[in-house]
Amino acid sequence: MRAAALALTCAAPWQQVATGDDVVAVAERAALGTSARVAVWPPTCLGVACAAMDEVLAALDQQASRFREDSELSWLHGAGGGIFVLSDGLAEAVGVALAAARWTGGRADPTVGEALISLGYNRDFADIDQQDGEPPADPTPAPGWHRVRLDGPLLRLPPGVRLDLGATAKGVGSDRAVRTVMSAIGHQGGVLVSLGGDIAVAGTPPRDGWPVTVAEAPDHAGPPLPQLVRLTGGAVATSSVTCRRWRRGGVTLHHIVDPGTGRPADGPWRTASVTAATCADANAAATAAIVAGRAAVSWLTREDLPARLVGQDGEVRYLGGWPAVSGLPVPVLSSSRVYAGARPPGGVG
Amino acid sequence: MDADRGYPDGRVPLREPGEPDPGVRVRRDSIRKARRISNWTAAALVVGTGAAAVALAHHSFPAAAPATGGVTAGAAGQGGGAGTSAGRTGASTQATSGPQVTHSVATTTASGVTVTTTTRTVNGKTVVTQVRHAPAHADD
Repeated sequence: MRAAALALTCAAPWQQVATGDDVVAVAERAALGTSARVAVWPPTCLGVACAAMDEVLAALDQQASRFREDSELSWLHGAGGGIFVLSDGLAEAVGVALAAARWTGGRADPTVGEALISLGYNRDFADIDQQDGEPPADPTPAPGWHRVRLDGPLLRLPPGVRLDLGATAKGVGSDRAVRTVMSAIGHQGGVLVSLGGDIAVAGTPPRDGWPVTVAEAPDHAGPPLPQLVRLTGGAVATSSVTCRRWRRGGVTLHHIVDPGTGRPADGPWRTASVTAATCADANAAATAAIVAGRAAVSWLTREDLPARLVGQDGEVRYLGGWPAVSGLPVPVLSSSRVYAGARPPGGVG
Repeated sequence: MDADRGYPDGRVPLREPGEPDPGVRVRRDSIRKARRISNWTAAALVVGTGAAAVALAHHSFPAAAPATGGVTAGAAGQGGGAGTSAGRTGASTQATSGPQVTHSVATTTASGVTVTTTTRTVNGKTVVTQVRHAPAHADD
């Protein structure tokens, strides 16, 4: 029953979105517990792009969803640890997650699965009762990414270790999607893909870049105001503690967990937007910045990553050449850190 | 000139060390003149080539791109999203060949929009229902 409902979600129809520019075509649909959006030029390629997106989204959900009973990842967890031969797609996703953990010093750690469950995030967020409930169980610090070994398709997962690929999986999906769409449309024109706000672009961008709004939440009303930037390549991703929140025992919880404590991160930054060469890089860096707290500025600066950080008080800080005013291009690193430690982004697998 | 510096018997004194040979000076002046002409010629060529390139590019990519499906030119910058070389993408340097897009096409944000989609059949028609769960904010 549960799998059938999720299958319906995956099969949600694309709905064309009018943005005000008819030189690009934009469509959106529900996917992966959030929204997927594709923008493509020339606009006649939209149908082909959506079909390519469907292929990528279905494969990623089947491989890496923590909430689908029939996913490959759930099957691993159900086996209770051991050595497994992964599909190419899941091997890439896990490899990127482990590389991201290494790169971020363990701040974006895929072994937080059990910690999230103990906090009550044990199903698709749409199905979580966000009203106040019983206090959460004792926090469960992550066992640590270094306990998981991946050698090609061979994964050694210790008993009791549950993976959550939330810090990188949507980024991996966006990276795969732009490549798959570009291939499907014959490498003519350009494409932008957003999975839950984690955005990758490929091909030839519009003149001056893809106009992208930077916001804390889709319907966020308070300060700071959303900012428009232009993305000419690479990717941009945002992590925030203002979304995916729920209450337990009178305490507000959220989905970005500090692996060291097993509790929701409570540093000085509530939202981090980062540009990088790939969406997996940007996704991991944004999550790591939230978890890093006060150390985020020095880490992002050392990694030369352009970033926009919003403090708990709403103050905005711009790093690495991120423009302080709207309408300007945002710089992007041209080399990936996480794919260098994993297999390069390729097919859907 | 040299005669002024000569002796009455017609001999010409040796030049002091470091004093330029008048003949060399004449040759140098000629070379300088030729270089100046070459530089101006090269500059004119560069400017002319640049102007021609700009004119051609402007002709190829009109300011207002066709409304539907007409934008097919401009292969520069195509490729995957994953970078392969070090350094930064110069944000404004490669974005010259696509159409002009003025409105935001996507929002980077926390993935707070959770959409539940259900599909059911009513009187033979497929009804798709999407329910958006608004994110909870810090003041809740």
